[in-house]
Amino acid sequence: MRLALLIIFSVLLIAPAPLHARDKVLDIQEVTSPGGIKAWLVEDHSIPVIALKFSFKGAGAALDPASKQGLSRIVSNTLDEGAGDLDSQSFQKELRDLSIGLHFGSGRDNFGGNLKTLTRNKDRAFELMHLALTKPRFDPEPVGRMIASNQSRIRSSLSDPDWMAVRLLNDMAFEGHPYALNSGGTLSTLQSITSIDLDNFVKFRLGKNNLIISAAGDITPEELATTLDTIFGELPQVALQPAPNLETQNQGKTAVYERDIPQTVIEMIQPGIARTDPDFHTAQIMNYVLGGSGFGSRLMEEVREKRGLAYGIYSGFYLSDHFKGFSVSTATANANTKHVLDIIKAEWSKMLNKPVSQEEIDNAKSYLIGSLPLSLTSTDSIASILLSLQGDGLPIDYLEQRENGIKAASIEDVTRVTKRILDPEKFVTILVGKPEGVTASKTYETLPNVE
Amino acid sequence: MITPLQAYAQTEVKADSSTQGEKVFNAETFKLDNGLEIVVIPNHRTPVVTHMVWYKVGGADEMQGKSGIAHFMEHLMFKGSDGLASGEFSKTVKKLGGNDNAFTGQDYTAYFQSIAVEHLEKVMTMEAGRMRGMNPPLQEVESERKVILEERRQRTDNDPRGRFGEQMNAALYVNHPYGTPVIGWFHEMEQLSWDDAKTFYDKWYGPNNAVLIVSGDVTGAQVHELAKKIYGPLARVDSIPVRSRTISPPLYAQTKVLQRHPAIRQAVIQRNYRVPSYRQNAKDSLALQVIEEIMGGGATSRFYKSLVIEQKLATGAGMSYRADSWDDTTLSVHATPAPGKHPEEIERAIEQELRKLVSEGITAEELQDSKTRMQAAAIYARDSLSGPAMAFGHALATGSSVDDVEYWPGRIEEVTAEQAQDVARRFLDPDGKYDHPPVTGYLLPSAEKEVALENMVQDEVVEIEPAANDNTEDGQSANTKEATP
Repeated sequence: MRLALLIIFSVLLIAPAPLHARDKVLDIQEVTSPGGIKAWLVEDHSIPVIALKFSFKGAGAALDPASKQGLSRIVSNTLDEGAGDLDSQSFQKELRDLSIGLHFGSGRDNFGGNLKTLTRNKDRAFELMHLALTKPRFDPEPVGRMIASNQSRIRSSLSDPDWMAVRLLNDMAFEGHPYALNSGGTLSTLQSITSIDLDNFVKFRLGKNNLIISAAGDITPEELATTLDTIFGELPQVALQPAPNLETQNQGKTAVYERDIPQTVIEMIQPGIARTDPDFHTAQIMNYVLGGSGFGSRLMEEVREKRGLAYGIYSGFYLSDHFKGFSVSTATANANTKHVLDIIKAEWSKMLNKPVSQEEIDNAKSYLIGSLPLSLTSTDSIASILLSLQGDGLPIDYLEQRENGIKAASIEDVTRVTKRILDPEKFVTILVGKPEGVTASKTYETLPNVE
Repeated sequence: MITPLQAYAQTEVKADSSTQGEKVFNAETFKLDNGLEIVVIPNHRTPVVTHMVWYKVGGADEMQGKSGIAHFMEHLMFKGSDGLASGEFSKTVKKLGGNDNAFTGQDYTAYFQSIAVEHLEKVMTMEAGRMRGMNPPLQEVESERKVILEERRQRTDNDPRGRFGEQMNAALYVNHPYGTPVIGWFHEMEQLSWDDAKTFYDKWYGPNNAVLIVSGDVTGAQVHELAKKIYGPLARVDSIPVRSRTISPPLYAQTKVLQRHPAIRQAVIQRNYRVPSYRQNAKDSLALQVIEEIMGGGATSRFYKSLVIEQKLATGAGMSYRADSWDDTTLSVHATPAPGKHPEEIERAIEQELRKLVSEGITAEELQDSKTRMQAAAIYARDSLSGPAMAFGHALATGSSVDDVEYWPGRIEEVTAEQAQDVARRFLDPDGKYDHPPVTGYLLPSAEKEVALENMVQDEVVEIEPAANDNTEDGQSANTKEATP
């Protein structure tokens, strides 16, 4: 192998080949196990690494009761703390000695896991994942340790204004909905979580019927098929009651949480659009022009480049199962808060009242299409994209559809979609700091769902 | 977090080539007549490249009183050069479907783009254009100064944990530029001018003080040809100085940093040691990397096991060591006190673990397990486009060589238990006498709040077994060495 490479290089030294783009699309295969479990796979044997990712749809924190906020999080932190005959330290030691990355995580909607292993340790890696999912021990020592660790995390976050602003945004914009709760738990609800809660979580939320899986790297479809049954074959069927859909709450309101810091953190959200909506591709172009692209976006030009009012400002879509939003985040010296809010509103009006230029659309399109391969450069990132497509119920050829959808958008389309989405009257605004010149419709004295 | 890479970026043992083992990345290297070093890491999985230029200059090379000028210059590099208007660099990269950015450390300033391989020539041309030809309009300099001040507020001043890291460094690096934050002190940043930036730029930027690194769907020959054409015509800058930094005098006091703040609800304790970097002493550095893996590497490490699982003094604990530094570097031990536990208790427990390390050393099994994990990290490190480029950049900008990176696994393999114990004895002994004694820092709630809190949490926590894993949360690194644009 080494020799072959040397020969190729020496040929190229004489006549360097021209640099060119390859006609290469992500080659996704759908694999079905003998037991009927499906997964998407991108096979790549260039590096002896395998990544496997999966998600239990609808099993996430939105199902945690208010009195047990943080339950999903504690499950995600303790599934890898002992399973079968292995106690916490034995399980962790095996993972470390074999350099197996095995992690669970919980979002508001889904509960998921990642496995990353060297090919040579794959059999044991698959077995450990299987054990964690089917025979977790939830011994009191690691459960208590993880609860304490999360309480520490929360206390540490209480000096982080970005964290506080997002906490408040969830509280305001999702008021009355499970999304308004703290998915990471509160200091007191974490304390109430028991190993029975954890057992029940696994029993009632993790099923074969709400499972999606992706894999990438050094594994063949045949081997993956067998592996799927090994890891997931014993899972039960589950029946989950989904959370209701949600509109943005408290539209038009501005809340202030006063903190003695030099800069005000600004978080805003208004209603958005679903990824499966036919207008989503056009909406991405709108977002790119307005604030999604960082340097070159209108918001960045006006706020940072022309006036030096912030280090950064970004807009983006907030995509969850039951809520679709469009958000803006930035931070500015307290004295400039009103100025920055005025600029954001002015840019909304500009987008609504004047069509974007052809040049802006063309730039957005070439970035949105051209940058896709940049997210396909590691085994891990490829598996992530495959999982995200499945998670949103998108087809296996979505990446091609996406390209065509973006290409097709015209100025008129962008204008229409902008008018459909943007509405500065609908903003929920959170300010954390000592903002000047702003009238608050609500003042927070303490952070909800933290203590 | 760049776990595998961080472990990487070093090595300078003069090892016998027969015992060096396999290369990790199989990079190819070249040098142009004007002094530009080139590293190419072929990776043909996807038709994209990461193109980076690292300048061997950073915050620690600034003039006294001009703190933040290296980072300010990095920002101004996007503000217009010969042939490019302000902001045009990044906009052009985006138009071509690429991403670009830059960052500044104490020892380096680096600029990079990730983009489809057919646009490599274009980004090279633009990057070469700003190597000597910066010329930003003055009003852009004025507004960008406001931007770096907002950046400082956001990164450092808005959260007491940011300021704590800064204070810790200032105490450890007395009369050495590493004690000054890369972002700069606020009052000096306010005064920075284009003249200051230009002086710095003219002095340090040039092909013979830079490393070009390309990772991705290219061959060494292709990059070499392009670089000759594009970077080749730039003239060598003969006036680029040799790095020379002020030296810390011996210190005779044990330094404690105590910071209290009303916003703090979770105390932090940290002890930072000044230890050799890879460039200064490769053999010691490799042994320190092994110690870091054994003492601080995750849920089965000694510190975590002792402080968190067994003694239940802390909810998190670890050790970090960065080998890639031009001068002395920091080895940091950190812990998050469990409710009701005093930092002093934790400090004693940390010292106890260190004494054990000094007197008993490490076991053969610990040594072998840590090596196996570090070897595996080398394989994972190949599974990335920009990661390998970062590893070479950090290494070359801090005085290590390409071979140091390539043969890192083989060199780690040669570390012995005796060496590990020896470096522990020489650098980490709590009872040792050092010219640069470690600095211990406590970040605590304000005094009155602390009392109230402790009463409260003690009630609250009676039954549980305090502790914590979550290796990500102790996040605060001892060295806030990097700033981005």
